[in-house]
Amino acid sequence: MTTPDLGRLGVVVLAFVTVQQTLMLDLRIGGVHPDIMILLPVVAGIVGGPARGALMGFWAGLVADLFLPTPFGLSALVGCIVGFCVGTATLALDRSALWLPPLAALAGSALYVVLYAVVGSVIGQPQMIHVDLPRIVLVVSVANAVLALPALRMVTWALPAASTEGVPTSPATLGAHR
Amino acid sequence: MPRRSRRPRTTLLLLVLASVTIITLDARGGFHRITSGVKSVAADVFSPVRRGIDDVVEPVGSFLAGSVHYGAVRQQNQKLQAEIDQLRSQQASEQDNAQALQQLSALFNLPFVGNLQTLPAEVTNYGTSNFAATIDISVGRGQGAELGMPVVGAGGLVGQIVQSNHSTSTVRLITDGQSVVGVRYGPSPGSLAVLTGQGAGQPLDASLVPSNTPLTGGEIFTTSGLQGAIYPSGIPVAQVVRSANGVTASQESVTLEPLADLTHLRYVSVLLWGPPS
Repeated sequence: MTTPDLGRLGVVVLAFVTVQQTLMLDLRIGGVHPDIMILLPVVAGIVGGPARGALMGFWAGLVADLFLPTPFGLSALVGCIVGFCVGTATLALDRSALWLPPLAALAGSALYVVLYAVVGSVIGQPQMIHVDLPRIVLVVSVANAVLALPALRMVTWALPAASTEGVPTSPATLGAHR
Repeated sequence: MPRRSRRPRTTLLLLVLASVTIITLDARGGFHRITSGVKSVAADVFSPVRRGIDDVVEPVGSFLAGSVHYGAVRQQNQKLQAEIDQLRSQQASEQDNAQALQQLSALFNLPFVGNLQTLPAEVTNYGTSNFAATIDISVGRGQGAELGMPVVGAGGLVGQIVQSNHSTSTVRLITDGQSVVGVRYGPSPGSLAVLTGQGAGQPLDASLVPSNTPLTGGEIFTTSGLQGAIYPSGIPVAQVVRSANGVTASQESVTLEPLADLTHLRYVSVLLWGPPS
């Protein structure tokens, strides 16, 4: 990854954190606010595969943790796992399909929220599992599914060309591997 | 069939290890001071950005809301409806101002504060996480609000400052699951108990209340102020809602609601107080 690539990624992460800390915190649905920082590892997983999804989840998570009262590093831990899972799950799929980003955002966000609560409770924050988890999952997942396509555009602009990381994604590339 | 690369799994393993290391270090003294400092800088940098964007977005939102409303008005009686709307808006604004004035007036006349110095603050945000009951307030280290200081509102205790930045602070509410308040109840000198939070919007739970303690609905629990306590003594915290025999034979199960209205906080007071060393 080159310096301009890293610069673009920095701009995208900064844009996401700015929107999250301004518009999203004021937008409450049933007392729950959307969390678009989760979209970064999800769409990075789709665009760049498991390794880049995990890396994006880690760094975006660390930035998100700067503004959260929960343990520092928790978002990074959950983010890298979710980025990796989304990247792995979408490896063999057609990444240009329009239905993929919203669906991945829906499932990835739900996984993120549940993991976040479970891991948080395991590391000494038991109250995190006693929140209204279904409501948080619903609001965060649906909001992220709606915003998945614009987020994908931004991350595609920032991340270098998609990597298949050793696994072919279409019959043409499958032939090339052989 | 092509072999899947091991690199992603190695990357994930390293990142998980790095995250766990950061979480572990943050839970201990030294590194937590560093992360707290970095968080403070980030909050100070973002505070003007947040205010600036709010200043831009609020009028746009009001304009859009007004446009939508205007369309509906036009279908009916345009002029009359507009007048009604204007009056309603005026009334809502006056009610809003009255509510703010009421909260501010109450803050300047808190009987339980006594001789303690206070610092009034505006609530700027209701929590940055869906998993913690916190609020952000408009004062920070620059104005004298330090980490650990108690925060009160009209009615009673609100919480404690857990993150102090230059011009803003984060307050953990007493309803947060991590909040523990030592309290006193009953006739003087009073019995001791501990109140723990159950999450935002949830009632408080009391422990260490002996079985068959005669508690009536509305009985008020105040901070105990014992040596080493994180709150000064005598601040009203919560009132009894329900009391019943607990799951253990030796303890009463007591449910309480906070005296301060934590869901509609607009102004609070920081008590410039620290536990005696």
